[in-house]
Amino acid sequence: MTRARRPRPIRILAPAAVAPRIRAEFNRRQFLAGAMALGGAGLLTACGGDSDGDTASPTGDASPRATGGDLEGQVSIYTWGDYDSPDVLDAFSEELGPEIRLDAFNSNEEMIAKLVAARGTSGYDIVVPTGQFIPQMVENDLLEPINKELIPNIEHVDEAFLGLEWDPENAYSICKAWGTTGYVYDNTVITRELTDWNDFIDAAKNEASGRTSLLDDPAELTGLYFWANGINWTTEDEADLQAAEDFLVGELAPHITAFDSYPGGSAIPQGQHVLMQSWNGDARLGIMESPDPDRWTWVLGAPATQLWMDNWCIAKGAPNIEAAHAFINFVLAPENVIEQTDYIGYHTGAKDVESMAEEAGLEMLDLIFFTPDQVATMQEGAVNSAQQRIVDIWNKMKAAAGA
Amino acid sequence: MASAGAVELTAVTKRFGEHTAVDRLDLAIEPGEFIALLGPSGCGKTTTLRMIAGFEQPDEGDIRISGESVAGVPPHKRHVNTVFQNYALFPHMNVAENVAYGLQQQRTPRAEIRQRVAEALDMVQMRSLADRRPAQMSGGQQQRVALARALVNRPSVLLLDEPLGALDRQLREEMQIELKLLQARLGTTFVFVTHDQHEALSLGDRIAIMRAGRLEQLDTADAVYARPASAFVAGFVGQQNFLTGQARGDGTFDAGQIRLRSSRNGEGSLLGGQVRAAIRPEYVTVEKVSDAYPSGSAPAGSALPENSAVGRVASVAHLGETMQYIVEVEGQDSILSRIPTPQAPAVNVNDAVVASWDADSVHLFQAELSAPQHPASRT
Amino acid sequence: MRAPKFLLAVPAWAWLTAFFILPVATVVYFSFGYKPGLFGTHATDVLSLDRYREALSPTFFTTFVNTLRIGILGTLICLLIGIPMAYWMAVKVSPRWRTLLLALVIVPFWTNFLVRTIGWQVILAPEGWLSGLLQSIGLRDAPLAILYTRPAVLLGVVYNYLPLMILPLFVAFDRVGPALREASKDLGADRLRTFLRVTLPMARPGMIAGILLVFIPLMGDYITAVVLGGARGNMVGQLVASQFQAAQNWALGSAMAVLLIVVIAGAVLAGGLLAWLVSWPVRHRTRLGLADLENIAVQERA
Repeated sequence: MTRARRPRPIRILAPAAVAPRIRAEFNRRQFLAGAMALGGAGLLTACGGDSDGDTASPTGDASPRATGGDLEGQVSIYTWGDYDSPDVLDAFSEELGPEIRLDAFNSNEEMIAKLVAARGTSGYDIVVPTGQFIPQMVENDLLEPINKELIPNIEHVDEAFLGLEWDPENAYSICKAWGTTGYVYDNTVITRELTDWNDFIDAAKNEASGRTSLLDDPAELTGLYFWANGINWTTEDEADLQAAEDFLVGELAPHITAFDSYPGGSAIPQGQHVLMQSWNGDARLGIMESPDPDRWTWVLGAPATQLWMDNWCIAKGAPNIEAAHAFINFVLAPENVIEQTDYIGYHTGAKDVESMAEEAGLEMLDLIFFTPDQVATMQEGAVNSAQQRIVDIWNKMKAAAGA
Repeated sequence: MASAGAVELTAVTKRFGEHTAVDRLDLAIEPGEFIALLGPSGCGKTTTLRMIAGFEQPDEGDIRISGESVAGVPPHKRHVNTVFQNYALFPHMNVAENVAYGLQQQRTPRAEIRQRVAEALDMVQMRSLADRRPAQMSGGQQQRVALARALVNRPSVLLLDEPLGALDRQLREEMQIELKLLQARLGTTFVFVTHDQHEALSLGDRIAIMRAGRLEQLDTADAVYARPASAFVAGFVGQQNFLTGQARGDGTFDAGQIRLRSSRNGEGSLLGGQVRAAIRPEYVTVEKVSDAYPSGSAPAGSALPENSAVGRVASVAHLGETMQYIVEVEGQDSILSRIPTPQAPAVNVNDAVVASWDADSVHLFQAELSAPQHPASRT
Repeated sequence: MRAPKFLLAVPAWAWLTAFFILPVATVVYFSFGYKPGLFGTHATDVLSLDRYREALSPTFFTTFVNTLRIGILGTLICLLIGIPMAYWMAVKVSPRWRTLLLALVIVPFWTNFLVRTIGWQVILAPEGWLSGLLQSIGLRDAPLAILYTRPAVLLGVVYNYLPLMILPLFVAFDRVGPALREASKDLGADRLRTFLRVTLPMARPGMIAGILLVFIPLMGDYITAVVLGGARGNMVGQLVASQFQAAQNWALGSAMAVLLIVVIAGAVLAGGLLAWLVSWPVRHRTRLGLADLENIAVQERA
């Protein structure tokens, strides 16, 4: 389950008119997917065992290794591409000393595969997995316990985003950012009002047929069906999965033009489709960059949708464990939270971040922040025994749509 | 067609940018003739050949083959075939397929193709290698295939562009004899381009000597050798001793200490001024001074007889059938002499000698303002 | 004592082993394994052919047919454009311009191919500048509807892969040289016959190289097709990647990768066989050898 957040435009020296185009080209997932295709298996098998840091014994010892000692000279972060404000990173190095080394991954699976292969010698200090992958990582001894005494700024994190199912004690993770799934439609073509997933499906089969895109992610496809039909989207029940397959492959696939995880990159600004399933931050950017923003309407998935959350974690064997704690503490400070939100366009889980964003004058806040009622409809994902099945459904649906 | 195989060039000019490769060339080749186009590199002989083949179009003038103008006719429609310098055999075809290629283009029936390919390969004794690819053969074998490939089409005119240039000497001489015999047997017009005077002299019924895009002389080997039309021809065909002299008005010329007289050109036919005299080395005899003049010393200066020079032997070389002497003469270019080995005098290096020749062997030419340099004399 | 000759081949074999044989052998080995539980990616303690049975699903066939169609059509179009283009560059263009043209062919390689492909997405978009241009000069009365169609996929494929076809063809045509073309014309063949019987057969190695250079990577490429074809650009490569990444099932992904290798090799062999069969009549008509000449008696020509 690869979901990435659309950050705000990359700052580049180029005329404003071409900026959206260039930015679209640097769309993280596609860009890295290209690199993957070019590099072949290189990325998959790459082993980052170049660190001379101490190798932790894989005993599953739950007591934190960090003691609040002197900060090391650097800190190495393995995260989603373009997922932190450079200003915040610079400020950290300036104020506290350690230099930051960034490395990007394309999917949770890729990041996990690398950590597994390195067996605690990856050299990374901080990694940023999505919530449902954390139990797997703990079980495989890929994470260090966090010493929360060294992260006093955790008090600024909204309690709604602490103690979640995958890490009830926040022993290994602290919320970095979260988002959700909905869709965007062209209200000049779809003139009726759409409000939920069933409307989405209906429009896709009718006025948006052949001009609809879905997220290129297996769980989002089965999720679409489950959310629309009141089924828990983490279901492992074969009857549910078969029903999802029948619907997606047999009914919906012929109407789908593209599987695009980042319609905000170019599809919305260039009007490539009229109905697009998308993540909230990406939709916000696409609409903001459209020459005609009023044409696009955002709908949060209903009656249910997902909540994905990425988390700050510390990699097993982190060579700079003190600096890693210092960094996490630093980005949770309120003055840095708003910088981060402004840059990535997603809620960081901090208390009062909405009012701070309003004060700072950020646009289209309804695509970043949601009401408690809305949040209550959002369900967290899970990595479970259905994983292979939903990937198969995803492939079948793509085959059917491409036939 | 009465004139089948005739080639006629009339005032043909070909320019490549600023450079004029062929300059108002007139050349008439008789049907069934073996003609050698001879000249130094860059003289326009290959361009002339390529215009006959159709690979180049003349800028001016007309070319007629078998009596018909070929202006604008592309190569594949000319009844002319070429043997190329580097054979240009098709590497992806075997010998038989190479030879059959031209016939296939004429849509010749299969049975006839086989018959004629077999004939052509027999003609060059290559039938047994019919399955070979060009890369599997020696240069001489490829040469024969190239010949068969061109002749199998029974062209009116066969063009040969330095076809023997890449062969070693012995093979080249064998091929020369074969070519000559083949041409005599077939009666096809052969136009043979070469820069090798021996090849031209031994093969050509007539030899066309070209220089700077123009025809210097067109005549038989004997005539070109014995009666060169210009100093250039004299120097290019065979070797020559060149002496530049000043007319004295009495039919003799002074070249430094040497007084020349020619009985070939009518006396006074050259009006005086500067002349160039050419004397072939084989007409120059060498004698020790002590043998020629029992007194032991040669007469000095103008007392010396006409058509003789006194000098010192700089080199004696045994060339097999002849002995070659180089005699250094004070104030002159050295003089080259070749004497058949049985008649060769016993002369050693540093001997004082008299070199002499008959008035009949002296060719006189009006000296040109810018005399061309000849590679002729001292090889 | 001289070193034995095989030592000279050691670097080449070491290279081949390290960068081809070992990785492929690993993939083949994994393909006989299985996915052990939720968090494992592969295990090989029990070997079976089960992954191949799973891989050979209708999904795989549908996707594979689509991939093969794009691969074959794309390669053919590249060949049809590449041959005249390379011939023109090698034969007709003066050497002065040839270098420039070659540079122009290569220049696109200096940018990331994904960026180039997305560039086309921008151009072909319904609200892109091409669409606007065509509408403003009256060639279309509706926005361009080519993006996310098969023609768009083929356009992207040709754009990305054409240089790989042109370069080997250019080298091949260039190496034929003018002498053999002149010899052919001298023997009575016009331009077309010369091209068909001399230039093209001699350029065959270049043609084969070009076809392989385009077809093989194209069969594994799922970026070009997806960016411009959307759902119509669904490729087997994506299927393989999905098993490694999303499903974390390296065993099944390996089996699919092995199948892909096998079918690519099969397609190449089938293509070669087809070309051989199609050209058989021509070869038969022009073939001549010693055996054909054996029993021919030669009469002397008068």
